[in-house]
Amino acid sequence: MKCTRCLLQLQSLRLGVQPVRPAVQYAALLQSASPSLTSVPHNPQLQVLRRFHGSPVCAKTPPVKAIKEEEKKKERSLVTQDGLFEQIPEDAKSEATFKKVVDVFLKRDIRRRGHVEFIYAALKKMPEFGVERDLAIYNKLLDVFPKEVFVPRNFIQRMFNHYPRQQECGVQVLEQMETYGIIPNMETKVRLVQVFGEKSHPMRKFQRMMYWFPKFKNLNPYPVPHQLPEDPVDLARFSLTRIANDKDARITIYQMPCTDITESGEEVTLPHIVGIQGPDQMELLAKHNPSRPVFVEGPFPLWLRKKCVHYYILRADPIPAEEKVEEPYDPERCFDYPLQLDLDLDRDFGDEEDFDVEDLDEGPVFAMCMTGQGDQSTLNQWISGLQQTNPILGQVPTFFRLEPGLKELQGARDSDSKNHQRQDHDTQREEGEDEKEREVTAEEEPRSRRQGMKQ
Amino acid sequence: MSLPKITRLPSARLLGSISHLHLQHQQLLLPSLLPLSVPRRAVTPSPYRRPGQPREDKPPWQKINFDFWKGVGGIKKHFALLKKEFFERWTGPEGKPILEHMLEQNRVVWEFRHPESLEDWTVSSDQEIGGQSTVNLKLGKNDTCYLYGTLNSTPPRDGETRYSGYCTMRSKQPLISFDRKKHHDWTSFNTLHLRVRGDGRPWMINIAAETYYSHQKDDIYCYFLYTRGGPYWQDVKIPFSKFFLTHRGRIQDDQHPVWLDKINTIGFTLGDKADGPFQLEIDFIGVSKDFAHTEEFAYELYKKNPEV
Repeated sequence: MKCTRCLLQLQSLRLGVQPVRPAVQYAALLQSASPSLTSVPHNPQLQVLRRFHGSPVCAKTPPVKAIKEEEKKKERSLVTQDGLFEQIPEDAKSEATFKKVVDVFLKRDIRRRGHVEFIYAALKKMPEFGVERDLAIYNKLLDVFPKEVFVPRNFIQRMFNHYPRQQECGVQVLEQMETYGIIPNMETKVRLVQVFGEKSHPMRKFQRMMYWFPKFKNLNPYPVPHQLPEDPVDLARFSLTRIANDKDARITIYQMPCTDITESGEEVTLPHIVGIQGPDQMELLAKHNPSRPVFVEGPFPLWLRKKCVHYYILRADPIPAEEKVEEPYDPERCFDYPLQLDLDLDRDFGDEEDFDVEDLDEGPVFAMCMTGQGDQSTLNQWISGLQQTNPILGQVPTFFRLEPGLKELQGARDSDSKNHQRQDHDTQREEGEDEKEREVTAEEEPRSRRQGMKQ
Repeated sequence: MSLPKITRLPSARLLGSISHLHLQHQQLLLPSLLPLSVPRRAVTPSPYRRPGQPREDKPPWQKINFDFWKGVGGIKKHFALLKKEFFERWTGPEGKPILEHMLEQNRVVWEFRHPESLEDWTVSSDQEIGGQSTVNLKLGKNDTCYLYGTLNSTPPRDGETRYSGYCTMRSKQPLISFDRKKHHDWTSFNTLHLRVRGDGRPWMINIAAETYYSHQKDDIYCYFLYTRGGPYWQDVKIPFSKFFLTHRGRIQDDQHPVWLDKINTIGFTLGDKADGPFQLEIDFIGVSKDFAHTEEFAYELYKKNPEV
């Protein structure tokens, strides 16, 4: 306690002394030449002061003619904080090296001078080392602060912003945790109390985080794990079950990714094809009018946290009003609970439950798939696979509307797209034909888009 | 028009001295350009001004357009609005019969069925603060609101801004004759009902209510909107009791439920730090009364953090 107070006094002294210092130093230099100058009583104090590296404000306005040694030391003290991280080669950046750097800093100096700069540098470098989501690392960073120095000791200190730069730094550490969505634990709290005291700003920030974060932690009704599956097939399975919104939907893997070497020695990579189809979708497809075409459309983006995957859909245009068939409920579908009630009750205004909006009719979606390679031949394979469970696909003309880049979902209006029509469903095509087809689509796509623009 | 200057800006003032450190290298290159950034706080909160941008020194009368024909058009428009406002009263509140008004269970506030409906909305992105996100709004192919663009969370290199990367869409403040404010009165409803289709990204819904003091003008009630992604539409019901109070993007300690009698605007914000294209389609935005929902406020109302 006492020593910190001394340090405080010294620091304030130093700030006051600073503008005079070049002159004094000059005097000190001169002193060696002529011992008659009497600035001797100041000197020991200065020696003490120089040891105590308090705030980098001093470093920002270095004395014009400082002694070379001191200048060197200052340079080091500012640059090395960042430099400690810079020294590590690109391939060695990992959690272990990050911890090692912090340890090196901790062991370097018992007074932890420049720790604020070091923490800021560390926070900035955390994503590079891949430790930005590691709670232990944040706790370790909070450990860098010297303990009990910044705790206010009387009501006046508590009233004013005590050690504002250090408190801001502590808040910044917590804010970075907040940005990456990490909930602090009891160790964080203990560290903060040790460093800043019970009612400091970082402690307040901690309390706010602990109040709000657990409330918001499990809000997402469609949760995405932090660690997405690496395998593309697993990822496709996860994404498709997410977007299908149907517990009964069945996932079919039409093709596993594999690499083959043909007789001529070329490497052929087969992309994965994973599809999903629910019983409702199958029923819809079975009822589909075979004279109307179905469309394979895509790719549409789906974001899973920071990762973007693409999916394709098989859909048809909305059924025109004259073809719609009202199907009565089968009364024997459920005996316990009547599915239809013909009660002649007067409906009041207050009983209206529906919104007064025109219904959107976008046409049914029959199936969805994800593949590693979104060209027509791959998607053809998917359709052929679907045909085994949905035989109607053999009679229905299928159009491919594949456009790279961002696309609006389900453009029902421009259904008369002039894309290539797929007539037969032979999987065993020759490769040359496939390539020709691809060229044809590539040619026709811009044209169809131009036509779309005209409309 | 201050509406496009959407409020959720990172607060650079609390930790203003940090950005100084972050730009240590730049400062070595440009020692005289970047001054030491001191935490600044004006007495009255002014609209956002980019760091380094000169202050506009125009007297207020120079900003007004004194065109004669604009005046004539204004008179026509405003008197038409006044007439409508006057005669609507004869039918009932807000132009509806009183019985219908009292027994209303649900109301569609915004729907997007024709191009004029997009004029009620403004979009903005972090380009205002020097970022690189883009956002566009158009009528979708099926007559829905189609909001799309690209998110880019690279912060601008102005030395102070630390975070960037947001895109917003916000409804305009409804006005009646002579540019008086009109508010949405949703006191008889308790749930916000949306029909959306997104691409899996989380959004934030911001409701701005009328406030009394000028320092509250950036108070916004927020809640999250999680989208599923995929080809199916998604009906989202969010009770108003779940909305929490924020000020300039920071959750406040003193919470209270949103007062529904004077709602000014509603907005949608994306800022999930995932760089890339995004899209959100909105079919309609409505309010409804859910009798099963009796909660008044989802968060504790006792005094938190006592003796600050």
